[in-house]
Amino acid sequence: MTPLFEFHQQQTRRQFFGKVGLRAGNIALASMLGRDLMASSVHTSLPELPHFAPKAKRLIYLHMNGAPSQLDLWDHKPELARFFDKDLPESVRNGQRITTMTSGQARLPVAPSMFRFAPHGQCGRWVSELLPHTAKIVDELAVIKSVHTSAINHDPACTFVMTGSEVPGKASIGSWLAYGLGSESNDLPAFVVFTPSFPAASQAQALFTRMWSSGFLPTKYTGVALRGQGDPVLYVKNPAGVDPSNRRAMLDALNKLNTISHAQIGDPEIQTRIAQYEMAFRMQTSVPELTDLSKESKATLEMYGPDAQRSGSFTHSAIMARRLIERGTRVVQILHRGWDQHNNLPKLLRGQVEDTERACAALIMDLKQRGLLQDTLVVWGGEFGRTVYSQGTLAKDNYGRDHHPRCFTMWMAGGGVKGGVEHGETDDFSYNITKDPVHISDLNATILHLMGIDHRKFTFKFQGLDQRLTGVEEHHPVQALLA
Amino acid sequence: MIMTPRAFFFAFVVTATASAAGKLDFNRDIRPILSDNCFACHGFDSKKRKADLRLDTPEGAFKAIKGVFPIKPGDPEASSVLQRILTHDKDELMPPPETNKKITTNQVEILSRWIREGAEYKKHWSFETPVKTVPPKVNGPLRNMIDAFIQARLAEEKISPAPEASREMLIRRATLDLTGLPPSPEEIDAFLADTSEHAYDRLIDRLLKSERYGEHMGRYWLDVARYADTHGLHLDNERSMWPYRDWVVRAFNQNIPFDQFTIWQLAGDLLPEATMDQKIASGFNRCNVTTSEGGSINEEFIFRYAVDRTETTVAVWMGLTAGCAVCHDHKFDPITQKEFYSLYAFFNSTADPAMDGNILLTPPTLRLSTPEQARQLVDYDKNLSITQAKLREAIAKLNYTDPATVRPLPPVQTSETIWFEDAFPTGANVSVAGDPTQFVEKEEGPVFSGVKALKRTANGVAQDFFSAGGNYSIPPNGKISVQCYLDPKNPPKAVMLQFHSAGWNHRAVWGEEGAIPYGTVRTPERVRVGVLPEAGKWVKLEVAADKLGLKPGIKITGFAFTQFGGTVYWDRLAMSSRVEPSKDPQWSWQVWVEKNQGRRVEGLPNDLQTLVRGKKSNEWPEADVKRLKEWWFENECQSARELVEGVRSEKLALEAKKKALENLIPATFIMADLPKPRDSFIMERGQYDKPKEKVSHGTPAVFPALPKQDKYSRLDLAKWLVSPQHPLTARVQVNRLWQQFFGTGLVKSSNDFGSQGEPPSHPELLDWLAITFRENGWNIKEMVKMIVTSHTYRQSAQFSARSVHLDPENRLLARGPRFRLDAESVRDTALFVSGLLNPKIGGKGVKPYQPENIWEPVGFGGSNTRNYIQDHGESLYRRSLYTFWKRTAPPPNMTAFDAPNRESYCLRRERSNTPLQALTLMNDVQFFEAARAFAQQAMKSATTPDARITRLFRAATSRFPSASEAEVVRQTFEKHLAAYTAKPEEAKKVIANGESKADSALNPVELAAWTMIANLLLNLDEAVTK
Repeated sequence: MTPLFEFHQQQTRRQFFGKVGLRAGNIALASMLGRDLMASSVHTSLPELPHFAPKAKRLIYLHMNGAPSQLDLWDHKPELARFFDKDLPESVRNGQRITTMTSGQARLPVAPSMFRFAPHGQCGRWVSELLPHTAKIVDELAVIKSVHTSAINHDPACTFVMTGSEVPGKASIGSWLAYGLGSESNDLPAFVVFTPSFPAASQAQALFTRMWSSGFLPTKYTGVALRGQGDPVLYVKNPAGVDPSNRRAMLDALNKLNTISHAQIGDPEIQTRIAQYEMAFRMQTSVPELTDLSKESKATLEMYGPDAQRSGSFTHSAIMARRLIERGTRVVQILHRGWDQHNNLPKLLRGQVEDTERACAALIMDLKQRGLLQDTLVVWGGEFGRTVYSQGTLAKDNYGRDHHPRCFTMWMAGGGVKGGVEHGETDDFSYNITKDPVHISDLNATILHLMGIDHRKFTFKFQGLDQRLTGVEEHHPVQALLA
Repeated sequence: MIMTPRAFFFAFVVTATASAAGKLDFNRDIRPILSDNCFACHGFDSKKRKADLRLDTPEGAFKAIKGVFPIKPGDPEASSVLQRILTHDKDELMPPPETNKKITTNQVEILSRWIREGAEYKKHWSFETPVKTVPPKVNGPLRNMIDAFIQARLAEEKISPAPEASREMLIRRATLDLTGLPPSPEEIDAFLADTSEHAYDRLIDRLLKSERYGEHMGRYWLDVARYADTHGLHLDNERSMWPYRDWVVRAFNQNIPFDQFTIWQLAGDLLPEATMDQKIASGFNRCNVTTSEGGSINEEFIFRYAVDRTETTVAVWMGLTAGCAVCHDHKFDPITQKEFYSLYAFFNSTADPAMDGNILLTPPTLRLSTPEQARQLVDYDKNLSITQAKLREAIAKLNYTDPATVRPLPPVQTSETIWFEDAFPTGANVSVAGDPTQFVEKEEGPVFSGVKALKRTANGVAQDFFSAGGNYSIPPNGKISVQCYLDPKNPPKAVMLQFHSAGWNHRAVWGEEGAIPYGTVRTPERVRVGVLPEAGKWVKLEVAADKLGLKPGIKITGFAFTQFGGTVYWDRLAMSSRVEPSKDPQWSWQVWVEKNQGRRVEGLPNDLQTLVRGKKSNEWPEADVKRLKEWWFENECQSARELVEGVRSEKLALEAKKKALENLIPATFIMADLPKPRDSFIMERGQYDKPKEKVSHGTPAVFPALPKQDKYSRLDLAKWLVSPQHPLTARVQVNRLWQQFFGTGLVKSSNDFGSQGEPPSHPELLDWLAITFRENGWNIKEMVKMIVTSHTYRQSAQFSARSVHLDPENRLLARGPRFRLDAESVRDTALFVSGLLNPKIGGKGVKPYQPENIWEPVGFGGSNTRNYIQDHGESLYRRSLYTFWKRTAPPPNMTAFDAPNRESYCLRRERSNTPLQALTLMNDVQFFEAARAFAQQAMKSATTPDARITRLFRAATSRFPSASEAEVVRQTFEKHLAAYTAKPEEAKKVIANGESKADSALNPVELAAWTMIANLLLNLDEAVTK
């Protein structure tokens, strides 16, 4: 925080307290430190935000890293069976670029999905047999079959889906929201990231810290990783031999000494530092409380499945996501790896789905039961789609799929999203979009819209430009998805 | 929230100056309004220009359109621009409501006044040649000309400069600013004792001579250069770039003039008879991120790298954001898209490949060999080319018929040899790592075949092996199989087979990849074949010999059964072979082609690898097919074995020796151009596959022209940047130095000197410094000295109520600089005061403490920077600029304090203040161990609690504690002492944090209490602030 920013915050504290009020847990501390210090420890929102009443107050973004196959999960193409092992018609490919992983292949044989699809829910959505739990909640989901992106490889595509640009250096969507909307938690970060474990058999693509980095925004808006192994939040644990009372004694002295410095030097930054140490101390208590699942009901844990208590699993992360948003965290992102099935897709995709699918559905139901789904937005998707033609070996029950940026499926649920709808259509080969294309930046504009933000007005000046999550091209929230 | 105060400050500067100076100034007062609100549609970008109206030039603004004057000098009422701003008609209103832009009443008034005063246009201030004005006369405490400019401006606001800071503060500030480390109590004492008039100058001279100076200055430049130790994209594998980092440190210590510093980095490779240092320096533009992601399209990345280099160069030396012009004419600054691509042309012919190959040394690189090593390498190369010629001759003699074309097809041949059954080979030299070798018979445990099986139980890595006395040969198409039985009650994490030919370099792993941490992953040195076999039954594990780099004919002189933990039984290792020449890629060329087209073939030269992977075989050029076939005969074709084998093993031996030598010699990426330059084109909308008009090398027209010549190179561009006529380079660099010392540049947007950036707070000073810098031979140390010896720098940092409200950012400098240290300095300071710091300069990046699971959860399975293997001993305590920098997961105790991830250039770090920083400083083992060492030092150097408190307090803050401060510390010490006296076991834990050992002569309880005090003092605001 710059001194300037701090100065301004002190100027506006009255306004702040008027708006949010002090949370109960902080009253003791507030009286100890004086109200001035409290103001700077809270994640405040920008004064101009939200632009309009938000439908969703929080975001949980489930990123399936590596690109899940839309053809085997959502985009049902019964006609394809006739094309087994036939070449993809040139009229469909239409000279589009393909990656150098298959551009050298002698032919591009069509691989129909080996999985059965059936209609589910009141909406009658066709869902693959791989998603038995998700099939039960389809009436909550808006399934978008026509998402497309401009990147064809993982690194740029992941950077794009998360920051709106293929080139590193921009701010991630979570950082944008934390910056714009702040958070309601006084003792937990505004933006939290999980990188859970994934099936050992899967070849996992890399993640990059830039996917949750603040980029050009102030660094405090970078996502804080909540980790499955080691300290859940980095350095949150006291060193061996130091207990909370030792730490408190040290902090009491630190506050006194820093207060003396402040009296002498007058630098407001010192006050901020005192407040940040207090927040750090609160995190040392709130993080263990957060990660303690002992008060979760048996029914809840059973709904999520056997991995619920396995720290570091996707399922565990999903429960933690709910616990975080309950405590006021603005954005939770779970980045699950291993969805890059260039070969051996049927077996490996099954493993991926088994690792995540039940928890995704449980999360939606859990949120709904608690009345949180109505103002919590949940997004599921990868960075691009997969090709209809097989990469490598092709058999009825074994094939691989290369990267396909021209169409893929994502879903959204919760706050402000129309449940039970399907949006967009693709051709018979799930190769080209035939109706209602949704660019990644349209999707991001939709997310912002649901959270009460006009994506065109939400800018940050950097490198001489008004930077936007949705870039300089024209994009729009997808109206058809809005409830 | 952030915008408001900035606007507030601006209003203050602009209005104050405008009224004081009388006449409005276009650049200061008008351009920001027009640029923010109008230029996007009525500016430089001809494609986006609306209504054919252009307001960024007087020609455009004064020209009547249909009889209406957009701006009529002297006549606001007749100027349609103003009317359109003021109108209530939504269709007429400018800027249009949908742009969300609005011109304030105050701004309208300024515009109106400017038109009335004659509407005088000027070139954007930073594009005008700097002018050296005579420093104004002032009556303040003047130490050099900097103070004249600063105090003249303060006088306008009726603010007096602050008095000089205390001497303790002065030595702390200067030492931290020039070396990145605080002064020691002894250095402070010496300075306080030196009462002469020149004491401070002498201090500065001493600090400028310290080698710490180069490390500290270099550290800032490494942000600029986007230096790191990994490639940055996708696998994010390690790269060897550190000799460049060490050169940067050296360059600052040697005080290489900034013009040379510039030329070497942009074009050191092109200098006549370039020295080794000049070539190393040219690595500047090899520091960009690169990829080797499978599926990537070469042209796309060649394009991206050139764009990155162009943008970086323009930003670093000219302070301009050229990025916009990649896609279209710059909206605000006069850089057309064509001009951008003319700059890009300088960088578009570099010789580095599109795919970095995920290797340590992506060419072009430079080996920093001694003359003797260089001679040896030349010898090896000479001999290698002789053997290569012999090979070619042998291949030419070959009479090859493709078995796939023969009728009837040649017969199938099969074989199987048992390598291990009941015992290691007779005469073999059997050894273990772990308990002695144990065989079990059927009564004692599972046996697959024969009478015995090998059994081993282990904690961690253990193995049974033999290393001499056996001798097996790899057959063609060899397949290795082994029987393996895992104890279901005690399964291992991983099992591994390992083979010895020239070395133990062939490993096949089942189970957790990182468990047995030997060999480079995803190479034959460590192949992960699959998951652990099912426990409780015999499972046949199989792997093709070829996958482990075991080519037919290679002699095996040892093998090992390895495991990580658990209980494992092994039985019957066999080598089988089945050859069907007409379908085998090692016999049939045709089959090889069919099988490999579209795949990445290991061992092929880079260009052929790319060809085979990316193009269908019928598209392969004839010359390449010839080379491919030669490679195939040499390395793959079995019917050529006899003919080539002798020469080939000679060649392999030579290559191995050469590689061994090369591994001893450090190397670094350098810049070089292709022999035949690439053509450059304007890329439509910045898309790599949309080349339009062809462009040649050139610089934007708004700047002084390049000298006329036929051809241009990067060297010409570098020289142009540092030519005396260039308006930006010197300004940008002195501004960055200013920012380093004062926290904010004279131009706050130090990364944007264009019209969207902020104008300088002290334009005359900026120009005066820029010209002085250039006139003094671009002497960096001299410029630094001028800054730190000014009164402005030496002022007290005490905040006054008036200045806080009037100038919260301290842009007018009515007080001295005070702000938090950068990440590296925070860590280095803790190491320094505690006596742990290892002062070694330079070398390969080190891996100090890092919490578990920073790299692993994000790293690609095959990346060689997936697993963080922490160093031990002195490497834990090196200065932070030597910490290994992985771009996709940089060190968390650095990023917590705003260190950038080095994916792109960073000209200005943020300075945040967060709870995560508090947690890091309190709990990170690096800092907590430092606290213990710090406490230990105080206990040994002073005996009474008060003396120890003083010692610790001074080392941390460079000043004596006041009585009340000392009292707070003393009471806290007593509290801790009481707490740890009650729990001596906890005290022992406190002092055992970290890998260095606590001094056993000290009482653990007391040391623990002092450790908490040291931890307290290292967390003081003052301890992390200059």
